[in-house]
Amino acid sequence: MNRLSADRVTVAFDGLTALSEVDLEVTPGRITGLIGPNGAGKTTLVNVLTGFQKPTGGAVTLNGTNLSALEPHEVRRQGVARTFQGGRLFRDLPVIDNLEVTGVGLGKSRAAAIAEAEEMLAWVGIAPLADRIAGTLPYTDERRVAIGRALMGRPGFVLLDEPAAGMSAQEADELAHLVRRIAGEMGCGVLLIEHNVGLVLELCDHIVVLDSGAVIEAGDPAAIRGSEKVRHAYMGTAADTDLPVLEVME
Amino acid sequence: MSNRPSIARRTLATPLILSLLLIAFALVAVAAGSKPFNQTMIDIFLRVTLVVGLYVFVGNSGVISFGHIGFTCLGAYAAAWLTMPPMMKQTLLPGLPEWLIAVQLPYWAAAVLAALWAALWAAVFGKILMRLSGIAASIATFAMLAMINTVYSNWENVTGATSSVVGIPIVRTIWPYLIVAIVAVFIAWGHAISRAGLKLRAARDEPTAASASGIDLPRERLIAFVVSGGVMGLGGALFSHSIGVVTPDTFYLGLTFTTLSMLVVGGMGSLSGAVIGVLVLSTLIQVLRWLEAGVSIGTSTLALPNGVQEIALGIVMIVILAFRPSGLMGNTELNWRRAKTADPGASGQPE
Repeated sequence: MNRLSADRVTVAFDGLTALSEVDLEVTPGRITGLIGPNGAGKTTLVNVLTGFQKPTGGAVTLNGTNLSALEPHEVRRQGVARTFQGGRLFRDLPVIDNLEVTGVGLGKSRAAAIAEAEEMLAWVGIAPLADRIAGTLPYTDERRVAIGRALMGRPGFVLLDEPAAGMSAQEADELAHLVRRIAGEMGCGVLLIEHNVGLVLELCDHIVVLDSGAVIEAGDPAAIRGSEKVRHAYMGTAADTDLPVLEVME
Repeated sequence: MSNRPSIARRTLATPLILSLLLIAFALVAVAAGSKPFNQTMIDIFLRVTLVVGLYVFVGNSGVISFGHIGFTCLGAYAAAWLTMPPMMKQTLLPGLPEWLIAVQLPYWAAAVLAALWAALWAAVFGKILMRLSGIAASIATFAMLAMINTVYSNWENVTGATSSVVGIPIVRTIWPYLIVAIVAVFIAWGHAISRAGLKLRAARDEPTAASASGIDLPRERLIAFVVSGGVMGLGGALFSHSIGVVTPDTFYLGLTFTTLSMLVVGGMGSLSGAVIGVLVLSTLIQVLRWLEAGVSIGTSTLALPNGVQEIALGIVMIVILAFRPSGLMGNTELNWRRAKTADPGASGQPE
């Protein structure tokens, strides 16, 4: 079966263990959530899964093939895409060129890359932004362009690093709708890293909770919602608080 | 399919305008009809070639290279080896292989081979250097320049070491230099609008996101390094024919500083900047030279003290960079209607 897996992934540097034997699996058509307090190691795990950080132990595999030794561009070409906190768009380029560059980076001709970019902008719902310079976009549009860019070449898996950060409730709803379509219509396996716990609980089929570099809980939203360990990790105490309140605490 | 005009059509104006500008300079030289002025124009076209060659790598990758004049050195000596009379080579450079001593090519054929020779060495050095980034890459390119200079300054039998290699056929007409400058502009434009150029410029601004977009950064840098090395070698070949004599130190720190400052003053983010930087600073240098030599006003002669040229040039550069840190052209390219965004592949309207 197709899957992107982290198997006992460990990352240690300078005596600090950022990740400790983390297991995680992303499967096509499903949305997996990755949550945890600040410094839990969420972004480090995304970096490991996409080749930006080499694990010091364990392995990342894609459909059984070890990806751990590959460079980030090679991982992307294998069909594992990601977005970044803060967008990281090519700010001086128009929106369409941001997507075109990725098409070209994946080996397409310029004409084919532009055609796919136009199609993708329409699919994400931002076709009117095509000729805007990326650096001039409002924050939420930047996020959508970043997602469109990650979807170029129809990757099997896409890792979204805090896509809802800074969004209003309505914007977050629209994003949730888009993420559902990415998994449902496109059949992508989605890993959603998000501080907005409410959004993760609402969207995800499966949730993994990290704290201090280790998985402390994994399960469906109901299980996570009821987990004492998760509550403790967020609150620092086993307070009698329902999880969505955490959203306010962040 | 897309109804957007092709990238070449959208951006062709830039190399065309730059070529027309260079042709206009050439026509001024013809109209002036003086021999020294002719030589000045030849120097300008050579600088355009070198600075545009430098732009192909530096402008697109964002990595400052202190080593590119090394490729100019390789091109200049290759042209010398291929065009000098065999008798002179036998005397001055007896260490050359027999076949190379025997060969004597027309200058244009030698220039093409010299460009390929420089590009080959750019590929060899680049394979190692392009894995580095930032200041490490810059220092490594400088080390490469020092290595090339050291080899050419000591390999007596093959390069004549530090003594001048004379007997290179001199080409005095300005047209070959103009043509080579225009060819360099079109090569730079062609690279900039190619898939490789687009990927490299994206990676220049956002290397992390570029990797996450499937872009193999060392590979794209290597392509630009090789193309750029080839143009520098071509410039070197023509350089040797402009003065008829080469020494390793002609192609060392002085020329490195001149070409880099012209690129930075023009604006290293754009091809137009590379050409405009050369034209503006060269014109300034020429005016200062005239003033140093003395200008007659009525019965008296106004002359600046010697050395003012370098000082004034330094001041002008500092002033330009103080007010326009990204150079005269900033991140814009010349266009028929108006300046547009620097990326020759971009079509958007800044808002």
